[in-house]
Amino acid sequence: MKERRDWASNSRKRPRPQPIGNLLSAILQKFFPALCFGGLFLFCTVACKAAPQAGGEKAFRVNIGTEPPTLDWSLATDHVSFNVIANLMVGLAEFDRDLKPSPVIAKSWEIHDGGRKIVFRLRDDVLWSDGQKVRAADFAYSWKRLLNPRTASEYAYILFDIVNAEAYNRGKLADESAVGVVARDEFTLEVRLRSPVSYFVPLTTFEVTYPQRRDIVEKYGPEWTQPAHIVTNGPFLLTSWKHDHKIELAPNPRFFLGRPALEKVEMFMIREKTTALSMYEQGRLDFIDNKSIPALEKPRAAKMAGHQLVPQLRGYYYGFVVDRKPFDDVRVRRAFSMALDKNVFGKILHGGERAASCWIPPGMLAHNPKIGLSFNPPEARRLLREAGYPDGRGFPPIALGFNGDEEDHRIVAEAAQGMWKKNLGVLVRLESQEWKVYLKKLQTDPPHLFRLGWGADYPDPDNFMKVFASFSGNNHTRWKNPRYDRLLDAAATEPNPERRARLYDEAQKVLCEQDLPIVPLFTTTETTVLSPRYTGLQYSAMSRLLLQRVRPKHSPPAAGRRP
Amino acid sequence: MHRFLAGRLAQALGVLWLVATLTFVLLRLVPGGPFDRERRLPPEVLANIAAKYRLDEPLPAQYLRYLSGLVRGDLGLSYRYVDRTVNAIVAETLPVSALLGGCAFLLALAVALLVGLFAGARPDTWADRLFLFVATLGISLPNFILGALLAWLFSLRLGWLPSGSWGAPADLVLPAITLGAAPAAYLSHLLRATLIENLGADFIRTARAKGLSEGAVLLKHALRNSLIPVLTVCGPLAAALVTGSFVVEYVFAVPGMGRFYISAVTDRDYPVIMGVTIVYTALLVLANLVVDLVYAVVDPRIKIADGPR
Repeated sequence: MKERRDWASNSRKRPRPQPIGNLLSAILQKFFPALCFGGLFLFCTVACKAAPQAGGEKAFRVNIGTEPPTLDWSLATDHVSFNVIANLMVGLAEFDRDLKPSPVIAKSWEIHDGGRKIVFRLRDDVLWSDGQKVRAADFAYSWKRLLNPRTASEYAYILFDIVNAEAYNRGKLADESAVGVVARDEFTLEVRLRSPVSYFVPLTTFEVTYPQRRDIVEKYGPEWTQPAHIVTNGPFLLTSWKHDHKIELAPNPRFFLGRPALEKVEMFMIREKTTALSMYEQGRLDFIDNKSIPALEKPRAAKMAGHQLVPQLRGYYYGFVVDRKPFDDVRVRRAFSMALDKNVFGKILHGGERAASCWIPPGMLAHNPKIGLSFNPPEARRLLREAGYPDGRGFPPIALGFNGDEEDHRIVAEAAQGMWKKNLGVLVRLESQEWKVYLKKLQTDPPHLFRLGWGADYPDPDNFMKVFASFSGNNHTRWKNPRYDRLLDAAATEPNPERRARLYDEAQKVLCEQDLPIVPLFTTTETTVLSPRYTGLQYSAMSRLLLQRVRPKHSPPAAGRRP
Repeated sequence: MHRFLAGRLAQALGVLWLVATLTFVLLRLVPGGPFDRERRLPPEVLANIAAKYRLDEPLPAQYLRYLSGLVRGDLGLSYRYVDRTVNAIVAETLPVSALLGGCAFLLALAVALLVGLFAGARPDTWADRLFLFVATLGISLPNFILGALLAWLFSLRLGWLPSGSWGAPADLVLPAITLGAAPAAYLSHLLRATLIENLGADFIRTARAKGLSEGAVLLKHALRNSLIPVLTVCGPLAAALVTGSFVVEYVFAVPGMGRFYISAVTDRDYPVIMGVTIVYTALLVLANLVVDLVYAVVDPRIKIADGPR
């Protein structure tokens, strides 16, 4: 390679440009400015055109925030994906307003062998979008696909209570027919459990347990969820999926509960909350939630017509690492808990967050607000003095870890830091980290105090309480209590709800009063605003946006039956 | 010319290999893995996922697999968007970013030519000072603020232009202005300064002495010589613009490639990070090569030779 630069500008022997160079030279000299100005003119012309409205007139438009990572319910793990799937599919059961499972595709279920066998009787009038009937075999296939190690599903463990499910997922058992789920006939699904568990039926409300069509999945492979291939059984059909931009749904005329009233649904993927809020205010979105409302705008959103706060089954807590000073002393943990006025958080976050004393959230079986320690600064100071740190003197330097990707976590941490300083005389250092770095740190070297949250996959207390079991990979506190584990085991197998609730009460007393490895701070709430032109939208306690019954306010409800 | 091109292509391949290797190594050094979740996954589930993505292989084997995929043009499977390949993601998002970046680039060039010429021809006048002020503002105003301001004014208050939607030509306007504002200001500054310098040069005095009109002197002689520094920055600038901007795509919900520069890193989606890095590098190298070729065309004093004479 040679590159020679001849800077003799006055040379009489000007180098002859290459033939192609002549052409380019001519273009650059004569047309380049013209091209640029032409581009600017074109741009201005386009700019002067009126702004088109997103979507057609009849489309119901929502913002789902981001691109769903997948629409394959065996692989989905996030709320965005589940929000789309929940409008495309139905399963054996759904949870009702009391968060109890009620039948959808299942007509009924029977418990046999002391809870070790569950038989689901299916309706015979539920159709896939291609006209075929939904059969028990579709459930058996879907559940075994979820467990298949080659699927590599993150939620495979959710079915580990089924006989041989764990061994099959680990690859120790190759024969899928040995897994304890089988279609006894066209509309009878039989499930065998390795031990009786009360939460198994609630678990069938979770999207990962929805049925799948073997012929479709095997024919199209990873592409089976594309609009041209996917076959579903829910209220809406997937008609278009423009990645990172928009998903379009159309009503399913074969939906067994009746065709939804909406003619079209548009789900936009707008990450910037301010942009989404502007779109709603311009009438270009019909529904917004926390994904579209910046924290500072929540008070303004609260004044909008159609505003609603929806309590979520999601807890927010601070954990103590109990095998390290100073939190190896339960008195210090109690002092830190009693020094926090948890009502403050809802006021500073503006999102309607509810102060929590116990761990099981409101609305769920065994939620008991009488359990837990209340705000009591004098008692907190007494406990700290008793532990050897009068007015915080001699207290070792400690850090509170949290992920800094959301402003809310910093706001909460700073408020807690202020309360500990004021009520205990202890200065806690705040340590913010990027999410994945933070998670790695929690696994390897957690800070003295750390922030985390937990959201329910299905509305059963087992899903919440097992987080702090001694065998749980999610228990970063290093706290273990065999009594707590035994109480959870007993509650999981207890069929009577009242006795079950009492067992969870006992377990919660251990967790939130006696040993206190965590301080539950609050449960979260979703701020939602539905355009006054519509009615019938359901936003569930597990962040599911259900559009099946949405209709324009002045139109009659769509013809439909309840199961 | 051919030897020059061959040499530059060999250099480009070396740069691509180096960038690919560095990205691969650095990603493995960053704490936190792609499948670290708030709810920790059971070991058996993690083992299945590692087997699916071949993350259970030793690092050298993963590296060789990655390089061989790269040679075949296969950028692998996304860890986050589990149904999509990185090739599909790039194929869908790069044209969007390229369209937006191309518009922003043309807009920046057109504004720079207009304003640079105008201000450069009348240095130290009130118009020139006004231009300097606006250009400095354009350079120093971060695009997330400018984008939010434009969206608020033209979309929310006046309702003239959309923001947050994509598909119609009008959707391009606000993001393109936001993306092109800083380059336009920078290029205008550059063109103005070079033009002022050239207008005092001997060859301009000669041109004027020959009786050429001021317009001809400005456009045919001064402007042409002033384009060299502008072209120098145009290559990397064009590559940066057409591969997308995280902020602008985030603010205006543009379905482009720019958003992956940040989101793929926070997700530790290794194949996507490596894919977009390689595409960006390739475009940058290509743009620089094109600029080198255009030098010789615009300025006859610069010559690309095939070898020693």
